[in-house]
Amino acid sequence: MKTPVLVIAAAALTLGAGPAAAADPIVIGHLADYTGPTSDVGKPYGQGVADALAYINKSGGIAGRQLKFETVDYSYNAPRAIATYKKWTGTDKIVAAQGWGTADTEALVAFVANDQVPFYSASYSGHLTDPSGKGTHGSKAAPYNFFYGPSYTDGCRALVQWAAADAKKKGVAQPKFVHMGDNHPYPNAPKAACAEYAKESGFEVMQPIQYSLRPGDFKAQCLSLKDSGAQYAFLANTGGSTISLLKSCETVGVATQFMGNVWAMDENALKAAGDAANGTLFVVGAADWKSEAPGMKTVREISKMSDPSGSEYRAVHYMRGICSVYFMRDAMAAAAKAGEISGPNIKKAMENMKDHVPAELTGVCIPSTWTSEDHRGTTKVFIYQALSKGDKQSIAKIGEADIPRKPEWLGW
Amino acid sequence: MASSASALIPCGQFKTDYRKDTTIFPTPASRSFAIAGVLLLCLVPLKFGNFELLSLYQLNLLIQIGYYGIAALGLNILVGFTGQISLGHAAFFGFGAFASAWLNNRWGIPVFWAIPLAGLMTTFVGMLFGIPAARIKGLYLAIATFAAQFILEDFFARANWFTGGSNGTLAQPFSLFGLEVSGDRHFFYVVLTYVVLLYVLAANLLRSRDGRAFVAVRDHYLSAEIMGINLTRYRVMSFGVSSFYAGVGGALFGHYLSFVSTESFTILLSIQFLGMVIIGGLGSVMGSMLGTMFMVLLPESIQWLSQSAGEVFPAMTEGLAFIKEGAIGLAIVLFLIFEPEGLAHRWKLIKASWKLSPFSY
Repeated sequence: MKTPVLVIAAAALTLGAGPAAAADPIVIGHLADYTGPTSDVGKPYGQGVADALAYINKSGGIAGRQLKFETVDYSYNAPRAIATYKKWTGTDKIVAAQGWGTADTEALVAFVANDQVPFYSASYSGHLTDPSGKGTHGSKAAPYNFFYGPSYTDGCRALVQWAAADAKKKGVAQPKFVHMGDNHPYPNAPKAACAEYAKESGFEVMQPIQYSLRPGDFKAQCLSLKDSGAQYAFLANTGGSTISLLKSCETVGVATQFMGNVWAMDENALKAAGDAANGTLFVVGAADWKSEAPGMKTVREISKMSDPSGSEYRAVHYMRGICSVYFMRDAMAAAAKAGEISGPNIKKAMENMKDHVPAELTGVCIPSTWTSEDHRGTTKVFIYQALSKGDKQSIAKIGEADIPRKPEWLGW
Repeated sequence: MASSASALIPCGQFKTDYRKDTTIFPTPASRSFAIAGVLLLCLVPLKFGNFELLSLYQLNLLIQIGYYGIAALGLNILVGFTGQISLGHAAFFGFGAFASAWLNNRWGIPVFWAIPLAGLMTTFVGMLFGIPAARIKGLYLAIATFAAQFILEDFFARANWFTGGSNGTLAQPFSLFGLEVSGDRHFFYVVLTYVVLLYVLAANLLRSRDGRAFVAVRDHYLSAEIMGINLTRYRVMSFGVSSFYAGVGGALFGHYLSFVSTESFTILLSIQFLGMVIIGGLGSVMGSMLGTMFMVLLPESIQWLSQSAGEVFPAMTEGLAFIKEGAIGLAIVLFLIFEPEGLAHRWKLIKASWKLSPFSY
């Protein structure tokens, strides 16, 4: 049960065009969850990563070299991710990797630092943003971890800001805030930091409510939520379980304003949840499929790698997957210019990026900055709202927040 | 390491007393074969320049067979020899993994010592959860051990001080006299040593007074009690021994993977362990190993098969995950129907047919 899905990209570059070294493919790993509890959002994101990698190969690779990658579906099972990573570094000698979940990424922090393998996770856990371990909240150094997008904590802070303004508008004296999610590293990541921020912002923070990452019947949780009287609930799980939760809460008659993190809601989840999801807020970290940004032209070309007809609608996560790959590509190209595409060179190139956007993706990816002291690529958060009426669903951007880069929030 | 002396002993092999009848190996030849087999395995990880006997992937499978095989043997002692049942074996396996990592990370005990100590800690936990066996049997005991699985799994996810909670914990690599054993090629020897040691120990245990008591409890507990065997004592002891094996297997697993997290130890693994001992042969030491090999290698060979077939029928590759899981289920059903005594029995029949060929008498 080690490598259920193998997608080895074309590496047909044997004929002696150019020096031998230049023709060697760049080996990278790609961990995805296509069958586990987060597969609902893992599929669009993983497809974005795989399509972007294939598209880069089609357009000539990086510095004349093709990318050779293996997509491994690890079913959100952290030990399996570690075993895969060890195989990659032991046998395949990867230069960098595109990862997925928080549990596995956080467990791999020490490994990737030791092996000097830049690891681009789809986990935006605040714990991964502190490259030197100087954060004041006991964070451990994560020098080789990168991710594209606002951290979970910053996403939650943006929603709390919105909620505070909303409560003021509605004249609620002491609004109540509650964190809802599974007891798992991913939903737990922003729990403490965001609760602290909510408290500072004048909320009464209620006891967190636990609901499984696997979809199920969550009426009991919804009743606890109703009893708690919280007006604002942060949903820290992924789309699949959010659908069940919203439906259960609709049945029970909960009037709470739900606010989902970046993986909690997307177009697919909205469609499945229907009216139960109406009004739910969620964090978005890139342009959406309907956007008219100039970079969307490239995104649509990339999408054709797995959907030649070009008719498929891509959920918001797809764009973030592409951005993650393109930031890695730009760092690799810069590393090649600096001499060699190696882990330390890629890291250095990443940390030299300032308000950087990959050239073909203007307007799609948020300009991002990494330094050797701070791996919070961006602190800009887009807040979207899910709208549903009968069988008509849509998403709309209702605001943007710029979370300050406070040094004491590093790695938290 | 035949558990019961085979009826097929070559001419000239006479047993003149009971002691000779209970040797670990039925004949000197079978002992030589086993020793030669272990020596041969010692050569397996060697690498000469660019030439390697086994690839890292194959070596990884052998290591997996090693640590799972140890745990499966533990379960076989409980299920196959003592006639109890456990649906919580994976939890004990996990407890060993966490305990060893904890002893090493928290108390600085070298991994070399942490592994057997973790085995002892797991023994204690196993005996605790084995206490209901004193009173209940069969399906009821199955459910009681099922509870152990859930209680421990939840404990793993919450006990931050011990397991790192839902984040899991890092386990340091095995080290010997300050020398770090890194890489599969070296770790293979660690696992091999434990496998040989624990398998010989189990074969020995079953020749002893306690081992015979286990079998008596299994075969007819009332008669056993009348013969003066303390049922409670031996049932709980069997849980302890079984958990020791699970704990050591789990500790090896943890230090091999360098990361331990609760997701590895679900009820599914418990059932896989049961599958291993049933397929291998209940009440057979060697069968535990054969069953483990089967369970580890089956999905890999099916993957290999369907990938090769996938070049002709692309649908095969797409349905890979499903085919794999399905095949394991099918294999278990087929085994129960056609080979209820397990691979160990089949192996005996194969040996017999070599010896008897061409005359079947």
